Amino acid sequence: MFLAFQAANPDLSFSLIAPEAIVSVAGVIVMMVDAFSRRGQRWVTGVLSIIALIAAGIASLWLWAAAPLQRAAFNGMIVLDELRLSFTLIFVIVSILTVLIASVWIEGEKLPAGEFHSLLLFATCGMMLMASAGDLVIVFLGLEILSIATYVLAGFRHTDVRSNESSLKYFILGSFASAFLLYGIALIYGATATETLPGTTNIAAIAGRLDQSLYPPLLFAGVAMLIVGFGFKIATAPFHVWTPDVYEGAPTPVTAFMAAGPKAAGFASFMRVFLFGFPIATVAASTSGYAHQSWVGALAIMAVLTMTIGNVVAIVQNNVKRMLAYSSIAHAGYALVGFVAAGAASDPLERNSALTAVTFYLLTYAVMNMGAFGIVTLIARSGDRRNEVDDYNGIGFISPVLGFSLSIFLLSLLGIPLTAGFMGKIMVFSAALREGYVWLVVIAVLNTVVSAYYYLRLIIVMFFRERTEAWEPPRIPASVALALVLTIVGVFYLGLFPGRVINAFNSRPAISLSVR
Amino acid sequence: MIPQLSWYLALSAVLFTIGAVGVLIKRNVISMFMCIELMLNAVNLTFVAFSSFFRDVSGQLFVFIVMTVAAAEAAVGLGIIISIFRNRESLDVDDASVLKL
Repeated sequence: MFLAFQAANPDLSFSLIAPEAIVSVAGVIVMMVDAFSRRGQRWVTGVLSIIALIAAGIASLWLWAAAPLQRAAFNGMIVLDELRLSFTLIFVIVSILTVLIASVWIEGEKLPAGEFHSLLLFATCGMMLMASAGDLVIVFLGLEILSIATYVLAGFRHTDVRSNESSLKYFILGSFASAFLLYGIALIYGATATETLPGTTNIAAIAGRLDQSLYPPLLFAGVAMLIVGFGFKIATAPFHVWTPDVYEGAPTPVTAFMAAGPKAAGFASFMRVFLFGFPIATVAASTSGYAHQSWVGALAIMAVLTMTIGNVVAIVQNNVKRMLAYSSIAHAGYALVGFVAAGAASDPLERNSALTAVTFYLLTYAVMNMGAFGIVTLIARSGDRRNEVDDYNGIGFISPVLGFSLSIFLLSLLGIPLTAGFMGKIMVFSAALREGYVWLVVIAVLNTVVSAYYYLRLIIVMFFRERTEAWEPPRIPASVALALVLTIVGVFYLGLFPGRVINAFNSRPAISLSVR
Repeated sequence: MIPQLSWYLALSAVLFTIGAVGVLIKRNVISMFMCIELMLNAVNLTFVAFSSFFRDVSGQLFVFIVMTVAAAEAAVGLGIIISIFRNRESLDVDDASVLKL
């Protein structure tokens, strides 16, 4: 059964890790170019990293098109399926938008551009590895590559106390969470041993061994530890307290990146580990059955807590970045609803469609979130000081471009029809309804109503409140304008014609690396 | 008496708990950082214990990866701590309260 993964000959396939390889090599090249280039030519690194990211995107599209005869490589360490490729594409989009949004900020603050871009590329490589991991080792490795780069990015404005603090908090709590995740992996490694075979960390092999486990209690402890570790990374409710502080203190383009990229990466490996490592069991009263029921139940409760806390606390925030941080917690809750549905689905086709719904949701969230943060970056200006809601008083009519585009993103985050946010919510909620989670969907919809308050409040502040002090609209540089155009087009494209993307994410029936 | 697998597991669980509690109650950043290292090393002990019990080398390979990652994390962590110390002259986390909770 799992002998395929223990084949003696190493099956190396470098074409299967092409996107990861391109991005990490580009990270090194960018660092070198930065070291040897003269001052004033620093924009080169931005261009280079965008080229590398586009190349990685093309590589992943190529992997998509080339009929995947080979579903796994490196002895099951790396897998190739639609889940991985769609997340890879999300990460590429997020990183390109981050480079575009960050360019002005780097210029304005006179920060070292090359370091920023190479760290961003390394973080992207880590995210891609997390999505493509077929083994818990690679999940951990990808998570750490991502996290270590992101700790530095959060503290990138190193003379600013807020940025220091954000980076410190992220570092302490992030490595705390990694330790939990790692302990979970160790316990599962021990618990998957059978009479004749040693333990394993291969996700597909774990699924086959649950019922033969010699030490089921270790298995349950391991599952709990994994939930804690991943829960921290994607900022779900009992483990979300670090999020607002870190998101507020980090430089705004980095916040945009953190809310969209690493969160999606956390979901990618969270879903892969739990849906394929601890799948629905044929016999409910068995070790695998109990493990499955307990994680689905725990995630359903976490989804409710996450949505409710995120939305309710967002109402009282007066800082726009903090408000968007709580909104990002709430959105993780909506995505968890779809995850729970995917976990509860007994039919593989339904599971795949729920999985597609969550992936699509994270794509829409990434697009609208990057757009909103792009505008927040422009309005905050140098020093990242103007982030209070009062700073947005009446800017809608002074700078209609910024006002209207921010309104579009906020309405999309709220989930108004015709926008991407609406489509994403519909897909996730209908997936949950199909699995009979009516109560969960009711709570989610009520939460959406609550969220209307704080999204609409910002729009009202922008358009219907008097501006008391003088305010000059910020110049919109070409790169940010490009990012805004891309995100607005994305919001409407995903909202009006989502079919093509959904089909691509879902296409072939085998999103499974389940053991046959 | 020959040490059993469960002894090692119990020891590493105790070490992990001490580390986790330490992160939560310590107020000095360096101490918190050392507690996190303690947690990682407790996990390493678990891996090595299982690995030698199963006579399987992959657990020990995992330990090498963890050690490498912990070293990278230490480098970045100390860098962050130095930059916060330069701006603030204090390593007490209670002073790090510009961003309210």
